[in-house]
Amino acid sequence: MTNMDKYAYSSKLKQTAPMKKLIFAMLALAVCLWANSVLISVLVLFMMGWCTVCKGGAPVALFIKLMLLPISFLIIGVLTIAINASGNKDIFLFSIAAFGTHIGVTKLGMHQAAHLFFKSMGAVSCLYFLSLSTPLVDLLAVLRRLKVPKLIVELMGLIYRFIFVLLEAAETMHTAQSSRLGYADLTSTYRSLAALVSTLFIRAYQRSNELYTALEARGYDGELSVLEEPWETHWTEYIPPVTVNLALFGIALFLKRYAGGVL
Amino acid sequence: MIKHILEVRDLHYTYSDGTQALNGLTLGIKQGKTTAVLGGNGAGKSTLFLSLNGIFKPTSGVVLFKGLPVNYSRAGLRNLRQAVGIVFQDPDSQLFSANVYQDISFGAVNMKLPAEEVRKRVNIAMEQTGITHLKDKPTHCLSFGQKKRVAIAGVLAMEPEVLVLDEPTAGLDPMGVSEIMKLLREIQQELGLSVVIATHDIDIIPLYCDYTYVLDQGKIVLAGTPKEVFGQPDGLREVNLRLPRIGHLMEILKDKDGFAFNDTANTISEARRLLKDWKISQDKSARGVWKHVRRN
Repeated sequence: MTNMDKYAYSSKLKQTAPMKKLIFAMLALAVCLWANSVLISVLVLFMMGWCTVCKGGAPVALFIKLMLLPISFLIIGVLTIAINASGNKDIFLFSIAAFGTHIGVTKLGMHQAAHLFFKSMGAVSCLYFLSLSTPLVDLLAVLRRLKVPKLIVELMGLIYRFIFVLLEAAETMHTAQSSRLGYADLTSTYRSLAALVSTLFIRAYQRSNELYTALEARGYDGELSVLEEPWETHWTEYIPPVTVNLALFGIALFLKRYAGGVL
Repeated sequence: MIKHILEVRDLHYTYSDGTQALNGLTLGIKQGKTTAVLGGNGAGKSTLFLSLNGIFKPTSGVVLFKGLPVNYSRAGLRNLRQAVGIVFQDPDSQLFSANVYQDISFGAVNMKLPAEEVRKRVNIAMEQTGITHLKDKPTHCLSFGQKKRVAIAGVLAMEPEVLVLDEPTAGLDPMGVSEIMKLLREIQQELGLSVVIATHDIDIIPLYCDYTYVLDQGKIVLAGTPKEVFGQPDGLREVNLRLPRIGHLMEILKDKDGFAFNDTANTISEARRLLKDWKISQDKSARGVWKHVRRN
Protein backbone atom coordinates (compact mmCIF):
# COMPACT_ATOMS: atom_id res chain seq x y z
CA MET A 1 0.00 0.00 0.00
CA THR A 2 2.69 2.45 1.05
CA ASN A 3 4.83 1.12 -1.77
CA MET A 4 2.22 1.69 -4.43
CA ASP A 5 2.08 5.29 -3.39
CA LYS A 6 5.84 5.56 -3.69
CA TYR A 7 5.73 4.20 -7.24
CA ALA A 8 3.04 6.69 -8.18
CA TYR A 9 5.32 9.52 -7.09
CA SER A 10 8.34 8.18 -8.93
CA SER A 11 6.43 7.26 -12.09
CA LYS A 12 7.64 8.78 -15.33
CA LEU A 13 4.01 9.53 -16.07
CA LYS A 14 3.58 11.62 -12.93
CA GLN A 15 3.97 14.86 -14.87
CA THR A 16 1.32 13.85 -17.43
CA ALA A 17 -1.94 15.68 -16.84
CA PRO A 18 -3.97 13.57 -14.39
CA MET A 19 -7.15 14.21 -16.36
CA LYS A 20 -5.59 12.53 -19.38
CA LYS A 21 -4.62 9.47 -17.38
CA LEU A 22 -8.02 9.30 -15.74
CA ILE A 23 -9.84 9.51 -19.08
CA PHE A 24 -7.55 6.89 -20.59
CA ALA A 25 -8.05 4.44 -17.72
CA MET A 26 -11.78 5.02 -17.33
CA LEU A 27 -12.54 4.67 -21.04
CA ALA A 28 -10.54 1.46 -21.21
CA LEU A 29 -12.36 0.20 -18.14
CA ALA A 30 -15.72 1.01 -19.72
CA VAL A 31 -14.86 -0.69 -23.01
CA CYS A 32 -13.53 -3.73 -21.16
CA LEU A 33 -16.70 -4.09 -19.09
CA TRP A 34 -19.04 -3.41 -21.97
CA ALA A 35 -17.31 -5.63 -24.54
CA ASN A 36 -17.42 -8.72 -22.31
CA SER A 37 -14.85 -10.32 -24.60
CA VAL A 38 -11.76 -12.28 -23.72
CA LEU A 39 -9.76 -10.77 -26.55
CA ILE A 40 -10.59 -7.17 -25.61
CA SER A 41 -9.88 -7.86 -21.94
CA VAL A 42 -6.49 -9.31 -22.76
CA LEU A 43 -5.77 -6.34 -25.02
CA VAL A 44 -6.66 -3.93 -22.24
CA LEU A 45 -4.56 -5.90 -19.79
CA PHE A 46 -1.50 -5.75 -22.04
CA MET A 47 -2.07 -2.12 -22.94
CA MET A 48 -2.25 -1.09 -19.28
CA GLY A 49 0.69 -3.31 -18.40
CA TRP A 50 2.76 -1.76 -21.17
CA CYS A 51 1.82 1.80 -20.16
CA THR A 52 2.57 1.14 -16.49
CA VAL A 53 5.85 -0.68 -17.01
CA CYS A 54 7.36 0.77 -20.20
CA LYS A 55 5.89 4.27 -20.09
CA GLY A 56 5.67 4.73 -16.32
CA GLY A 57 8.79 2.84 -15.35
CA ALA A 58 7.22 0.64 -12.68
CA PRO A 59 9.03 -2.70 -12.25
CA VAL A 60 7.46 -5.60 -14.21
CA ALA A 61 7.67 -7.80 -11.14
CA LEU A 62 5.60 -5.30 -9.17
CA PHE A 63 2.89 -5.16 -11.81
CA ILE A 64 2.70 -8.95 -12.03
CA LYS A 65 2.65 -9.26 -8.26
CA LEU A 66 -0.17 -6.77 -8.02
CA MET A 67 -2.10 -8.55 -10.77
CA LEU A 68 -1.76 -11.79 -8.82
CA LEU A 69 -3.32 -10.23 -5.74
CA PRO A 70 -6.97 -10.51 -6.84
CA ILE A 71 -6.42 -13.94 -8.40
CA SER A 72 -7.27 -15.95 -5.29
CA PHE A 73 -10.64 -14.20 -4.96
CA LEU A 74 -11.16 -14.49 -8.64
CA ILE A 75 -10.50 -18.22 -8.81
CA ILE A 76 -13.03 -18.92 -6.09
CA GLY A 77 -15.58 -16.73 -7.82
CA VAL A 78 -14.90 -18.22 -11.23
CA LEU A 79 -15.06 -21.81 -10.00
CA THR A 80 -18.55 -21.37 -8.59
CA ILE A 81 -19.68 -20.16 -11.99
CA ALA A 82 -17.84 -22.81 -13.99
CA ILE A 83 -18.96 -25.80 -11.94
CA ASN A 84 -22.57 -26.87 -12.11
CA ALA A 85 -24.60 -29.79 -10.92
CA SER A 86 -27.26 -31.52 -13.00
CA GLY A 87 -29.02 -34.90 -13.35
CA ASN A 88 -28.36 -34.87 -17.09
CA LYS A 89 -24.83 -36.05 -17.82
CA ASP A 90 -24.92 -34.95 -21.47
CA ILE A 91 -24.74 -31.22 -20.92
CA PHE A 92 -21.30 -31.42 -19.33
CA LEU A 93 -17.97 -31.26 -21.09
CA PHE A 94 -16.66 -33.47 -18.37
CA SER A 95 -18.18 -34.45 -15.06
CA ILE A 96 -18.06 -36.80 -12.12
CA ALA A 97 -20.95 -38.61 -10.55
CA ALA A 98 -21.47 -37.82 -6.91
CA PHE A 99 -24.35 -37.88 -4.45
CA GLY A 100 -26.66 -39.33 -7.11
CA THR A 101 -26.15 -36.43 -9.46
CA HIS A 102 -23.50 -35.18 -11.85
CA ILE A 103 -21.10 -32.38 -11.00
CA GLY A 104 -19.02 -30.91 -13.77
CA VAL A 105 -18.25 -28.15 -16.18
CA THR A 106 -20.59 -27.13 -18.96
CA LYS A 107 -19.54 -25.33 -22.09
CA LEU A 108 -21.65 -22.32 -21.16
CA GLY A 109 -20.26 -22.26 -17.62
CA MET A 110 -16.74 -22.48 -18.93
CA HIS A 111 -17.44 -19.69 -21.36
CA GLN A 112 -18.91 -17.42 -18.69
CA ALA A 113 -16.11 -18.17 -16.26
CA ALA A 114 -13.41 -17.32 -18.80
CA HIS A 115 -15.14 -14.09 -19.74
CA LEU A 116 -15.53 -13.07 -16.12
CA PHE A 117 -11.95 -13.93 -15.30
CA PHE A 118 -10.41 -11.90 -18.10
CA LYS A 119 -12.90 -9.07 -17.74
CA SER A 120 -11.94 -8.70 -14.07
CA MET A 121 -8.24 -8.84 -14.81
CA GLY A 122 -8.58 -6.22 -17.53
CA ALA A 123 -10.61 -3.94 -15.29
CA VAL A 124 -8.19 -4.30 -12.39
CA SER A 125 -5.24 -3.49 -14.66
CA CYS A 126 -6.90 -0.17 -15.55
CA LEU A 127 -7.10 0.77 -11.89
CA TYR A 128 -3.51 -0.33 -11.28
CA PHE A 129 -2.34 1.80 -14.16
CA LEU A 130 -4.07 4.79 -12.60
CA SER A 131 -2.80 4.19 -9.07
CA LEU A 132 0.76 3.46 -10.19
CA SER A 133 1.01 6.59 -12.32
CA THR A 134 -1.09 9.17 -10.49
CA PRO A 135 -0.58 10.28 -6.88
CA LEU A 136 -3.88 10.56 -5.06
CA VAL A 137 -3.43 14.30 -4.61
CA ASP A 138 -3.52 14.76 -8.41
CA LEU A 139 -6.54 12.56 -8.66
CA LEU A 140 -8.33 14.65 -6.05
CA ALA A 141 -7.58 17.75 -8.10
CA VAL A 142 -9.27 16.11 -11.09
CA LEU A 143 -12.27 15.08 -9.02
CA ARG A 144 -12.57 18.65 -7.77
CA ARG A 145 -12.55 19.90 -11.36
CA LEU A 146 -15.16 17.35 -12.30
CA LYS A 147 -17.35 18.93 -9.61
CA VAL A 148 -17.49 15.88 -7.39
CA PRO A 149 -19.06 17.04 -4.08
CA LYS A 150 -16.45 18.82 -1.96
CA LEU A 151 -17.25 16.76 1.11
CA ILE A 152 -16.30 13.54 -0.64
CA VAL A 153 -13.06 14.94 -2.06
CA GLU A 154 -12.07 16.43 1.33
CA LEU A 155 -12.83 13.16 3.10
CA MET A 156 -10.77 11.22 0.58
CA GLY A 157 -7.85 13.60 1.10
CA LEU A 158 -8.03 13.42 4.90
CA ILE A 159 -8.37 9.64 4.91
CA TYR A 160 -5.40 9.33 2.61
CA ARG A 161 -3.27 11.66 4.76
CA PHE A 162 -4.15 9.98 8.03
CA ILE A 163 -3.82 6.41 6.82
CA PHE A 164 -0.09 6.95 7.07
CA VAL A 165 -0.21 8.68 10.45
CA LEU A 166 -2.37 5.95 11.97
CA LEU A 167 -0.40 3.21 10.28
CA GLU A 168 2.72 4.56 11.91
CA ALA A 169 0.99 4.72 15.29
CA ALA A 170 -0.23 1.14 14.86
CA GLU A 171 3.25 -0.03 13.95
CA THR A 172 4.77 1.66 16.98
CA MET A 173 2.17 0.12 19.26
CA HIS A 174 2.64 -3.29 17.69
CA THR A 175 6.40 -3.11 18.22
CA ALA A 176 5.92 -1.98 21.81
CA GLN A 177 3.51 -4.86 22.44
CA SER A 178 5.73 -7.44 20.73
CA SER A 179 8.73 -6.37 22.77
CA ARG A 180 6.73 -7.20 25.88
CA LEU A 181 5.72 -10.61 24.47
CA GLY A 182 2.28 -9.36 23.48
CA TYR A 183 2.16 -11.75 20.53
CA ALA A 184 3.87 -14.76 22.11
CA ASP A 185 0.86 -17.08 21.88
CA LEU A 186 -2.62 -17.10 20.47
CA THR A 187 -4.40 -15.87 23.61
CA SER A 188 -2.08 -12.94 24.10
CA THR A 189 -2.23 -12.18 20.37
CA TYR A 190 -6.00 -11.79 20.59
CA ARG A 191 -5.71 -9.71 23.72
CA SER A 192 -2.95 -7.47 22.34
CA LEU A 193 -4.72 -7.00 19.04
CA ALA A 194 -7.92 -5.98 20.80
CA ALA A 195 -6.01 -3.45 22.89
CA LEU A 196 -4.20 -2.14 19.81
CA VAL A 197 -7.38 -1.65 17.82
CA SER A 198 -9.26 0.10 20.62
CA THR A 199 -6.29 2.34 21.43
CA LEU A 200 -5.90 3.18 17.76
CA PHE A 201 -9.53 4.18 17.65
CA ILE A 202 -9.10 6.52 20.61
CA ARG A 203 -5.89 7.85 19.09
CA ALA A 204 -7.69 8.59 15.84
CA TYR A 205 -10.34 10.47 17.77
CA GLN A 206 -7.71 12.55 19.60
CA ARG A 207 -5.95 13.22 16.31
CA SER A 208 -9.13 14.51 14.77
CA ASN A 209 -9.61 16.89 17.71
CA GLU A 210 -6.05 18.17 17.44
CA LEU A 211 -6.36 18.56 13.70
CA TYR A 212 -9.54 20.54 14.11
CA THR A 213 -7.86 22.89 16.57
CA ALA A 214 -4.86 23.34 14.29
CA LEU A 215 -7.08 24.00 11.27
CA GLU A 216 -9.10 26.51 13.24
CA ALA A 217 -5.89 28.33 14.12
CA ARG A 218 -5.30 28.81 10.41
CA GLY A 219 -8.76 30.18 9.80
CA TYR A 220 -10.68 26.99 8.89
CA ASP A 221 -14.27 27.90 8.12
CA GLY A 222 -15.79 24.59 7.16
CA GLU A 223 -14.00 24.12 3.87
CA LEU A 224 -10.52 22.76 3.23
CA SER A 225 -9.73 25.15 0.44
CA VAL A 226 -6.19 24.99 -0.89
CA LEU A 227 -4.32 26.37 -3.84
CA GLU A 228 -3.70 23.82 -6.51
CA GLU A 229 -0.83 24.09 -8.89
CA PRO A 230 -2.38 24.86 -12.21
CA TRP A 231 -2.10 22.39 -15.05
CA GLU A 232 -3.30 23.43 -18.42
CA THR A 233 -4.09 20.92 -21.11
CA HIS A 234 -5.02 21.60 -24.66
CA TRP A 235 -7.92 19.52 -25.98
CA THR A 236 -5.62 17.97 -28.60
CA GLU A 237 -3.80 16.15 -25.83
CA TYR A 238 -6.88 14.07 -25.24
CA ILE A 239 -6.81 12.76 -28.81
CA PRO A 240 -4.37 9.84 -28.27
CA PRO A 241 -6.06 8.26 -25.22
CA VAL A 242 -9.48 8.66 -26.78
CA THR A 243 -8.32 7.29 -30.15
CA VAL A 244 -6.81 4.19 -28.61
CA ASN A 245 -10.01 3.48 -26.76
CA LEU A 246 -12.12 4.14 -29.83
CA ALA A 247 -10.04 1.55 -31.67
CA LEU A 248 -10.67 -0.91 -28.85
CA PHE A 249 -14.34 -0.07 -29.03
CA GLY A 250 -14.31 -0.73 -32.77
CA ILE A 251 -12.69 -4.13 -32.36
CA ALA A 252 -15.20 -4.98 -29.64
CA LEU A 253 -18.07 -3.98 -31.91
CA PHE A 254 -16.63 -6.08 -34.74
CA LEU A 255 -16.22 -9.09 -32.46
CA LYS A 256 -19.76 -8.75 -31.12
CA ARG A 257 -21.22 -8.74 -34.62
CA TYR A 258 -19.08 -11.34 -36.39
CA ALA A 259 -17.61 -13.60 -33.73
CA GLY A 260 -20.92 -13.95 -31.90
CA GLY A 261 -19.40 -13.34 -28.51
CA VAL A 262 -17.19 -16.44 -28.59
CA LEU A 263 -13.96 -14.54 -28.14
CA MET B 1 8.12 51.75 27.61
CA ILE B 2 8.34 48.88 25.17
CA LYS B 3 5.16 48.26 23.32
CA HIS B 4 3.30 45.01 23.93
CA ILE B 5 1.75 43.59 20.79
CA LEU B 6 -0.13 40.94 22.75
CA GLU B 7 -1.19 41.23 26.32
CA VAL B 8 -2.97 38.93 28.68
CA ARG B 9 -4.57 40.23 31.87
CA ASP B 10 -5.73 38.11 34.78
CA LEU B 11 -6.61 35.19 32.53
CA HIS B 12 -8.58 32.28 33.95
CA TYR B 13 -9.48 29.19 32.00
CA THR B 14 -11.29 26.15 33.30
CA TYR B 15 -11.80 23.07 31.14
CA SER B 16 -15.22 21.45 31.01
CA ASP B 17 -13.95 18.64 33.26
CA GLY B 18 -13.15 21.20 35.97
CA THR B 19 -9.37 21.39 35.46
CA GLN B 20 -8.20 24.91 36.13
CA ALA B 21 -5.50 25.42 33.52
CA LEU B 22 -5.00 29.18 33.82
CA ASN B 23 -5.20 30.86 37.16
CA GLY B 24 -5.00 34.62 36.92
CA LEU B 25 -2.24 34.81 34.35
CA THR B 26 -0.87 38.17 33.27
CA LEU B 27 1.85 38.73 30.70
CA GLY B 28 2.85 40.88 27.76
CA ILE B 29 4.53 39.94 24.50
CA LYS B 30 6.99 42.56 23.33
CA GLN B 31 6.84 43.62 19.72
CA GLY B 32 9.67 42.39 17.54
CA LYS B 33 11.24 40.26 20.29
CA THR B 34 11.44 36.57 21.09
CA THR B 35 9.63 35.70 24.27
CA ALA B 36 9.97 32.33 25.95
CA VAL B 37 7.26 30.81 28.08
CA LEU B 38 8.98 28.30 30.29
CA GLY B 39 7.08 25.77 32.30
CA GLY B 40 6.91 22.11 33.18
CA ASN B 41 4.32 19.72 31.81
CA GLY B 42 0.80 20.78 32.68
CA ALA B 43 1.81 24.31 33.64
CA GLY B 44 -0.76 25.75 31.23
CA LYS B 45 1.43 26.67 28.26
CA SER B 46 -0.76 25.11 25.60
CA THR B 47 -3.93 26.54 27.09
CA LEU B 48 -2.33 29.97 27.13
CA PHE B 49 -1.32 29.64 23.49
CA LEU B 50 -4.75 28.57 22.36
CA SER B 51 -6.15 31.59 24.20
CA LEU B 52 -3.75 33.88 22.35
CA ASN B 53 -5.48 33.39 19.01
CA GLY B 54 -8.99 32.92 20.24
CA ILE B 55 -9.34 29.15 19.98
CA PHE B 56 -10.13 29.21 23.70
CA LYS B 57 -12.25 31.97 25.11
CA PRO B 58 -11.07 32.67 28.65
CA THR B 59 -13.47 31.99 31.52
CA SER B 60 -12.49 35.40 32.84
CA GLY B 61 -9.81 37.96 32.13
CA VAL B 62 -8.92 39.60 28.87
CA VAL B 63 -6.59 39.12 25.91
CA LEU B 64 -5.47 42.35 24.25
CA PHE B 65 -4.05 42.50 20.75
CA LYS B 66 -2.31 45.81 20.01
CA GLY B 67 -3.98 47.22 23.10
CA LEU B 68 -7.52 46.29 22.10
CA PRO B 69 -9.54 43.47 23.70
CA VAL B 70 -10.04 40.51 21.39
CA ASN B 71 -13.29 40.55 19.51
CA TYR B 72 -14.72 37.03 19.53
CA SER B 73 -17.05 37.58 16.59
CA ARG B 74 -16.45 35.62 13.36
CA ALA B 75 -14.71 38.49 11.61
CA GLY B 76 -12.77 39.46 14.73
CA LEU B 77 -11.47 35.94 15.17
CA ARG B 78 -10.48 35.71 11.53
CA ASN B 79 -8.39 38.88 11.86
CA LEU B 80 -6.83 37.69 15.10
CA ARG B 81 -5.93 34.28 13.70
CA GLN B 82 -4.35 35.88 10.69
CA ALA B 83 -2.24 38.11 12.92
CA VAL B 84 -1.36 35.50 15.53
CA GLY B 85 -0.18 32.25 13.97
CA ILE B 86 0.30 29.07 15.98
CA VAL B 87 2.71 26.29 15.10
CA PHE B 88 1.70 23.19 17.01
CA GLN B 89 4.01 20.75 18.68
CA ASP B 90 3.18 17.72 16.55
CA PRO B 91 3.29 18.59 12.85
CA ASP B 92 1.31 15.45 12.11
CA SER B 93 -1.72 16.98 13.75
CA GLN B 94 -1.28 20.25 11.89
CA LEU B 95 -0.59 19.07 8.35
CA PHE B 96 -3.84 17.87 6.88
CA SER B 97 -2.93 17.59 3.23
CA ALA B 98 -0.82 14.90 1.61
CA ASN B 99 0.68 17.62 -0.56
CA VAL B 100 3.20 20.05 0.93
CA TYR B 101 2.33 22.93 -1.38
CA GLN B 102 -1.40 22.63 -0.77
CA ASP B 103 -0.95 22.46 2.97
CA ILE B 104 1.10 25.63 3.07
CA SER B 105 -1.47 27.45 0.96
CA PHE B 106 -4.38 26.58 3.28
CA GLY B 107 -4.19 29.55 5.68
CA ALA B 108 -3.56 32.07 2.92
CA VAL B 109 -6.49 30.73 0.87
CA ASN B 110 -8.72 31.05 3.94
CA MET B 111 -7.82 34.74 4.04
CA LYS B 112 -9.62 35.00 0.69
CA LEU B 113 -6.57 36.37 -1.09
CA PRO B 114 -6.36 36.24 -4.86
CA ALA B 115 -4.66 33.10 -6.21
CA GLU B 116 -1.64 35.03 -7.46
CA GLU B 117 -1.00 36.53 -4.03
CA VAL B 118 -1.39 33.13 -2.36
CA ARG B 119 1.07 31.59 -4.80
CA LYS B 120 3.59 34.36 -4.12
CA ARG B 121 3.25 33.96 -0.37
CA VAL B 122 3.56 30.19 -0.50
CA ASN B 123 6.74 30.46 -2.54
CA ILE B 124 8.22 33.04 -0.18
CA ALA B 125 7.30 30.98 2.88
CA MET B 126 8.91 27.90 1.37
CA GLU B 127 12.06 29.87 0.65
CA GLN B 128 12.19 31.33 4.15
CA THR B 129 11.94 27.91 5.74
CA GLY B 130 14.25 26.28 3.20
CA ILE B 131 11.81 23.68 1.91
CA THR B 132 11.37 24.70 -1.72
CA HIS B 133 12.83 21.36 -2.81
CA LEU B 134 10.10 19.49 -0.89
CA LYS B 135 7.29 21.15 -2.82
CA ASP B 136 6.17 18.04 -4.71
CA LYS B 137 6.91 15.51 -1.99
CA PRO B 138 4.03 13.80 -0.23
CA THR B 139 3.73 14.86 3.41
CA HIS B 140 4.06 11.33 4.77
CA CYS B 141 7.50 10.89 3.19
CA LEU B 142 9.04 13.82 5.07
CA SER B 143 11.20 13.57 8.17
CA PHE B 144 9.98 15.03 11.45
CA GLY B 145 12.15 18.14 11.09
CA GLN B 146 10.96 18.69 7.52
CA LYS B 147 7.34 18.38 8.62
CA LYS B 148 8.02 20.96 11.30
CA ARG B 149 9.33 23.36 8.67
CA VAL B 150 6.29 22.78 6.50
CA ALA B 151 4.10 23.54 9.50
CA ILE B 152 6.00 26.79 10.10
CA ALA B 153 5.76 27.73 6.40
CA GLY B 154 2.00 27.14 6.52
CA VAL B 155 1.71 29.75 9.23
CA LEU B 156 4.22 32.18 7.66
CA ALA B 157 2.20 32.19 4.44
CA MET B 158 -0.49 34.02 6.40
CA GLU B 159 2.07 36.77 7.15
CA PRO B 160 1.29 36.94 10.85
CA GLU B 161 2.60 39.60 13.20
CA VAL B 162 3.05 37.20 16.08
CA LEU B 163 4.39 33.68 15.60
CA VAL B 164 3.55 31.35 18.47
CA LEU B 165 5.37 28.03 18.62
CA ASP B 166 4.53 25.20 20.98
CA GLU B 167 7.69 23.23 21.79
CA PRO B 168 9.46 23.97 18.49
CA THR B 169 12.48 21.87 19.46
CA ALA B 170 10.68 18.80 20.82
CA GLY B 171 11.62 15.61 19.02
CA LEU B 172 14.52 17.11 17.08
CA ASP B 173 18.16 16.05 17.24
CA PRO B 174 20.78 18.60 18.46
CA MET B 175 21.52 19.70 14.91
CA GLY B 176 17.81 20.04 14.17
CA VAL B 177 17.31 22.12 17.31
CA SER B 178 19.95 24.66 16.44
CA GLU B 179 18.83 24.77 12.80
CA ILE B 180 15.22 25.45 13.66
CA MET B 181 16.14 28.05 16.29
CA LYS B 182 18.48 29.84 13.90
CA LEU B 183 15.78 29.73 11.27
CA LEU B 184 13.33 31.34 13.69
CA ARG B 185 15.87 33.98 14.61
CA GLU B 186 16.45 34.80 10.95
CA ILE B 187 12.77 34.98 10.10
CA GLN B 188 12.13 37.10 13.14
CA GLN B 189 14.83 39.60 12.28
CA GLU B 190 13.98 39.69 8.60
CA LEU B 191 10.25 40.20 9.07
CA GLY B 192 10.28 42.00 12.42
CA LEU B 193 8.01 39.31 13.82
CA SER B 194 7.21 38.91 17.46
CA VAL B 195 7.95 35.31 18.38
CA VAL B 196 6.59 33.41 21.37
CA ILE B 197 8.06 30.03 22.21
CA ALA B 198 6.76 27.55 24.75
CA THR B 199 9.47 25.25 25.85
CA HIS B 200 11.02 23.25 28.63
CA ASP B 201 14.31 23.14 26.75
CA ILE B 202 15.98 25.51 29.18
CA ASP B 203 19.35 25.68 27.46
CA ILE B 204 18.02 27.35 24.32
CA ILE B 205 16.47 30.27 26.19
CA PRO B 206 19.61 32.31 26.99
CA LEU B 207 20.78 31.72 23.41
CA TYR B 208 17.73 32.72 21.45
CA CYS B 209 15.25 34.56 23.64
CA ASP B 210 14.99 38.20 24.72
CA TYR B 211 12.47 37.80 27.48
CA THR B 212 11.25 34.93 29.62
CA TYR B 213 8.14 34.11 31.59
CA VAL B 214 8.10 31.16 33.93
CA LEU B 215 4.71 29.54 34.22
CA ASP B 216 3.51 27.27 36.98
CA GLN B 217 0.00 26.07 37.75
CA GLY B 218 -1.52 28.58 35.39
CA LYS B 219 0.29 31.60 36.80
CA ILE B 220 3.44 33.57 36.05
CA VAL B 221 5.93 32.96 38.84
CA LEU B 222 9.02 34.64 37.37
CA ALA B 223 9.54 37.14 34.57
CA GLY B 224 12.41 39.06 33.09
CA THR B 225 15.30 38.79 30.67
CA PRO B 226 16.88 35.33 30.66
CA LYS B 227 19.68 36.79 32.77
CA GLU B 228 17.27 38.09 35.37
CA VAL B 229 15.23 34.91 35.49
CA PHE B 230 18.23 32.61 35.69
CA GLY B 231 19.62 34.87 38.40
CA GLN B 232 16.95 33.40 40.65
CA PRO B 233 17.80 29.71 40.76
CA ASP B 234 15.76 29.06 43.91
CA GLY B 235 12.57 30.34 42.30
CA LEU B 236 13.16 28.09 39.32
CA ARG B 237 13.84 25.02 41.41
CA GLU B 238 10.66 25.59 43.37
CA VAL B 239 8.64 24.95 40.20
CA ASN B 240 10.67 21.89 39.18
CA LEU B 241 12.80 23.73 36.65
CA ARG B 242 16.52 24.27 36.67
CA LEU B 243 19.25 26.62 35.48
CA PRO B 244 20.82 26.12 32.07
CA ARG B 245 23.68 23.61 32.40
CA ILE B 246 26.32 26.30 32.01
CA GLY B 247 24.57 28.52 34.55
CA HIS B 248 24.50 25.63 36.98
CA LEU B 249 28.21 24.95 36.50
CA MET B 250 29.08 28.60 37.05
CA GLU B 251 26.90 28.67 40.18
CA ILE B 252 28.71 25.65 41.63
CA LEU B 253 32.12 27.11 40.80
CA LYS B 254 31.19 30.34 42.49
CA ASP B 255 29.41 29.00 45.58
CA LYS B 256 31.35 25.84 46.32
CA ASP B 257 34.78 26.30 44.82
CA GLY B 258 35.38 29.91 45.68
CA PHE B 259 35.65 31.35 42.18
CA ALA B 260 34.95 35.05 42.69
CA PHE B 261 32.94 35.74 39.53
CA ASN B 262 31.42 39.18 39.40
CA ASP B 263 28.51 38.11 37.19
CA THR B 264 26.40 35.09 36.17
CA ALA B 265 26.67 33.24 32.87
CA ASN B 266 24.20 30.96 31.12
CA THR B 267 25.76 30.37 27.73
CA ILE B 268 29.13 29.08 26.66
CA SER B 269 30.25 32.49 25.37
CA GLU B 270 29.15 34.27 28.55
CA ALA B 271 30.97 31.71 30.69
CA ARG B 272 34.06 32.02 28.55
CA ARG B 273 34.14 35.79 28.96
CA LEU B 274 33.64 35.48 32.70
CA LEU B 275 36.41 32.90 33.09
CA LYS B 276 38.79 34.99 30.98
CA ASP B 277 38.05 38.06 33.12
CA TRP B 278 38.61 35.99 36.20
CA LYS B 279 41.95 34.71 34.84
CA ILE B 280 43.10 38.25 34.05
CA SER B 281 42.22 39.41 37.54
CA GLN B 282 44.09 36.42 38.99
CA ASP B 283 47.16 37.22 36.89
CA LYS B 284 46.99 40.84 37.97
CA SER B 285 46.80 40.03 41.63
CA ALA B 286 49.60 37.46 41.27
CA ARG B 287 51.80 40.08 39.61
CA GLY B 288 50.84 42.49 42.36
CA VAL B 289 51.99 40.00 44.98
CA TRP B 290 55.27 39.42 43.08
CA LYS B 291 55.97 43.16 42.88
CA HIS B 292 55.27 43.46 46.58
CA VAL B 293 57.73 40.64 47.34
CA ARG B 294 60.45 42.16 45.14
CA ARG B 295 60.09 45.60 46.66
CA ASN B 296 60.86 44.20 50.07
